[in-house]
Amino acid sequence: MRRMRRAAVLAAVLAFAATAAALSASSSPAAAASRAAPTQLTVWVGWSARELGVFNKVAAEYDKAHPDVTVKVVGSINDQKIVAAIRAGTAPDVVSSFNSYNVGVYCGTGGWIDLAPYLKQSNISVSQFPAATQYYTQYGGKRCALPLLADTYGLYYNKALFKSAGIASAPKTIQELTADAKKLTVRNPDGSLKVVGLDPFIGFYENVPERWVTAFGGKWNDAQGNAILASQPGWTKWLTWMKSLIDWYGYNNLVRFQAGLGDEFSASNAFEAGKVAMNVDGEWRVAFIQAEHPTLAYGTAPMPTNDPSLYGSGYINGTIIGIPKNGKHTAQAWDLVKYLTTNDHALAELSNGLRNVPSTTASTHSKELTPDAHFATFLKVFANPKSSTSPITASGVSYTNAVQSFVTKWQAGSVKNLASSLKTLDSQLDAQVKQAKGGGVP
Amino acid sequence: MEVARETTSAAVGTGERRRARRRGAWRRRRLVLLLMSPWLVGFSVFFGYPLVMSAYLSFNHYDLLSPPRWVGLANYRYLFEVDPQIWMAVKNTLWLIAVLVPLQVLFAFGIALMLARARAGVGVFRTIFYLPALAPPVAATLGFVYILNPATGPINTILAHLGIQGPLWFQDPAWAKPSLVALGLWGIGNTMIIFLAAVLDVPRQLYESAEIDGAGPLQRLRWVTLPTISPVILFAVILGVIQGLQYFTQAYVAAGVAAGQASQAADVTSVSLGYPQDSTLFYPVLLYQHGFVDFQMGYASAMAMLLLAVSFAVTLVIVVNSRRWVHVGTVR
Amino acid sequence: MAAADVAAPLVRRRPPARVRRRRLLLAIANHSLLIAAAIAFLAPFLFITLTALMTNDQALSAHLWPRPFAWHNFISVFTKAPLWRWTLNTLEYSVLATIGVVVSSVPVAYALARLRWRGRQTMFMVVLVALMLPPQVTVVPLYVMWAKFHPFGFNFIGTLWPVIIPNWLGDAFSIFLLRQFFLTIPEEYMDAARVDGCGELRILTTVVVRLAKPAIAAVALFSFLYTFNDFFLPLLYTGESAHHWVLSIGLSEFRSLHQVQWNLTMAATLLVMAPVIVLFFLAQRAFVEGVTLTGVKG
Repeated sequence: MRRMRRAAVLAAVLAFAATAAALSASSSPAAAASRAAPTQLTVWVGWSARELGVFNKVAAEYDKAHPDVTVKVVGSINDQKIVAAIRAGTAPDVVSSFNSYNVGVYCGTGGWIDLAPYLKQSNISVSQFPAATQYYTQYGGKRCALPLLADTYGLYYNKALFKSAGIASAPKTIQELTADAKKLTVRNPDGSLKVVGLDPFIGFYENVPERWVTAFGGKWNDAQGNAILASQPGWTKWLTWMKSLIDWYGYNNLVRFQAGLGDEFSASNAFEAGKVAMNVDGEWRVAFIQAEHPTLAYGTAPMPTNDPSLYGSGYINGTIIGIPKNGKHTAQAWDLVKYLTTNDHALAELSNGLRNVPSTTASTHSKELTPDAHFATFLKVFANPKSSTSPITASGVSYTNAVQSFVTKWQAGSVKNLASSLKTLDSQLDAQVKQAKGGGVP
Repeated sequence: MEVARETTSAAVGTGERRRARRRGAWRRRRLVLLLMSPWLVGFSVFFGYPLVMSAYLSFNHYDLLSPPRWVGLANYRYLFEVDPQIWMAVKNTLWLIAVLVPLQVLFAFGIALMLARARAGVGVFRTIFYLPALAPPVAATLGFVYILNPATGPINTILAHLGIQGPLWFQDPAWAKPSLVALGLWGIGNTMIIFLAAVLDVPRQLYESAEIDGAGPLQRLRWVTLPTISPVILFAVILGVIQGLQYFTQAYVAAGVAAGQASQAADVTSVSLGYPQDSTLFYPVLLYQHGFVDFQMGYASAMAMLLLAVSFAVTLVIVVNSRRWVHVGTVR
Repeated sequence: MAAADVAAPLVRRRPPARVRRRRLLLAIANHSLLIAAAIAFLAPFLFITLTALMTNDQALSAHLWPRPFAWHNFISVFTKAPLWRWTLNTLEYSVLATIGVVVSSVPVAYALARLRWRGRQTMFMVVLVALMLPPQVTVVPLYVMWAKFHPFGFNFIGTLWPVIIPNWLGDAFSIFLLRQFFLTIPEEYMDAARVDGCGELRILTTVVVRLAKPAIAAVALFSFLYTFNDFFLPLLYTGESAHHWVLSIGLSEFRSLHQVQWNLTMAATLLVMAPVIVLFFLAQRAFVEGVTLTGVKG
């Protein structure tokens, strides 16, 4: 009896202690939070080396202004790494990709979360982003990404080589481009190429189909999303022109020449080293030249076009940023994304350092942007309403890869009948999209 | 009395013996289970389960970002009817097996014969021929791509001094696979050592009796050496075919580096698989691309099932045919 | 033929001059071919070494001889890329995997070779089939399995564990090799031990293992070599986490990190080849014996 009473008292004491502990535990988070370590947000970006330093500076500013978070930046990321991390459940809080090719996959599978509710909550309207950037940051009705700086492409030309060849100004039409390229080309006594006027080879540096076909006005898809390469005269015109120029150089000569060139992102870049007189490149090249060859005499101009009414337009794409699913700090991640994509100061600073185009219409007029004659060309291309971008499909980057694969075969002369091959390519692209959606064979 | 005791002890004896035998059998079974346990677990988890799972996934659409979705034969129909690269991949792999395996066997055997005949400095030669086989495949591939650079590589530079314009090697679809074959032949050290040991193992008496019968050196090779080492030839062929069906590393690295020389934008990397123009796109490389670059794991599983069927078929064909020309049971 | 000549019958007449001359010519021809082949085999090594000693600009040009010799390349390689980290990762993988292979394959091979039990032949067939299976067939479901398996929140993808662990559960090639070898051990050794009162396990660990030392050494060497050079599986599981890269991945990515500095890439290539070549010279006999065992007894 006594033992039982003692047991009861003991039980009561324990129960009381447990409740007290539970109560105090539930009340301590508030206290603990104020003493807790700041949330660490991990941000994955594609930049590396010098460019990463620029992004780090902006991230550090955000860090200082927001003591409740610390931003950890990881560079040299590509799409494969992003998807692998999302697959494995080890994705960071904020992710960014250098291009929009896989937006179809990210939005379609929910790998990156839909940002529409967050935009609404923060009262941000997408109209502050130019139309082209709006197109490549959403798919299937879901906006799973926002543009973070844009890239536009234009023509870089070597003024010194122009002068010695007697060319006064940058070419505006494809005919002028072809004539200038041939004039600027220098061959060695044994017939091999020493200096190339313009290298239209797909696969060389930044040459991919989407950046060239815009100059010929070729479109990729119709309203239903079906591939229309065969019916678009722009595609046939571009492909025929490109092959004729490559054949003028000699296909094997060109391949041999390219094998001896320096790497695109090194200081021995062929354009910077004067081995290629004209080159289609992105607006970031301005910063690279500034850093590596500041004495290079060069100019920038919009890409020459087949149709004069298209002149001034170009290809636009850009870094996109989003929040992977299953993230743990979505609210704070959104704050960071919001800051990076809409804050004029952040965008101007990134633009100045990376020489990328700031991605909101407002920021393109920011006073903080350092004026630069070379760079101004690209801002104009960005603002041009006729500028276009890559198609966004469910098969992601394999779509444009399939087209590029075809074009490399064409330029090597392995395709006999262009018209029928383009038709076959169209049906293959459609089948690929269907398969990527999981619908099987049409 | 004695008889009674004898019978009881006898009865006890058989019962005990039976129990002892059962206990012994049980103990032996337990021992076998214990010894085989690592393999039993390993085989079920890393061989049996994935095979079954692979077969299951091949009927699904699966990108790991959303749950698998049943699509029936859709993947197989895409595989056999639509995929524009699949037949290139199959052709490339079959080409590699048809060209590299016989050449490897021929070279390894040839060098082994020469080494067997040589008398001075065999050890040094043997080391020289074996050393490249020790080089890691990635390192060897990188080395070869650099050496065979059409513009600045040493080989083409030397050829230019001799007045020959060297081919474009890894940049030319017609030369890319032969360049890989050269790389493969450089590393035949392992096969060569096996052939050397086998050739040296051929009993002297066979040669002597053949010589007595009037056989010349070529005839001795054809009727004594080859039949005696035929099991080793079979082994080398089977190993070569298995490796050919799994050929990935060298093709992946060579295509990536060769494509990078005409540098791509750093983000679009999957275009380089099979560079140039799908000539180095082997079946395992395409499988990797579809499964781990395009996120089409269901489709990659369908490709894997096809690879499994072909591996079985090819190995079966070789083994069945080998009975005709392989002599088992040599004098040792 | 060489063997036949070296053999010494008790009475030997000097062969006629014509035969001797022909034999001499054949020997010279043989040696010339060998020398030519040796030069062809050594040439790539030579070019790689020469490039490793060039400056970057020279490596990008058509020059064949480095001028001056850039010995410091071998040191710069370590500062430009985390070579030590890669080496540590590779060694971690190779050593753990090799130990695992030996420890798990020996008992299995013994059970398959020397114990009699129902299903033994079938199980051996299974081993042979596993041997011939291309890894690409099982790679997708295995990757999915590792991706979804999170014991205590530990992520396997991005580490080398998915590549190491299977080696501790038997390796088909090693089992095959060891089984072939165990078959050749005469039963008398085992019987003698049994008479002495040893249990089966004791027999395995004391008698059999000691007798099979060359085979086990060969298996260990091959495992180490194979895992040291492995590229595909580590690429799959650690391709996106540079911290866990092994040497083969690091080497293939070296060029894109540092913009195709071929001289440094070739220097790194040589450094990666070096440990294996050194190992070969130290364990030459074991290597050759092992390779012979594989093929001849196979």
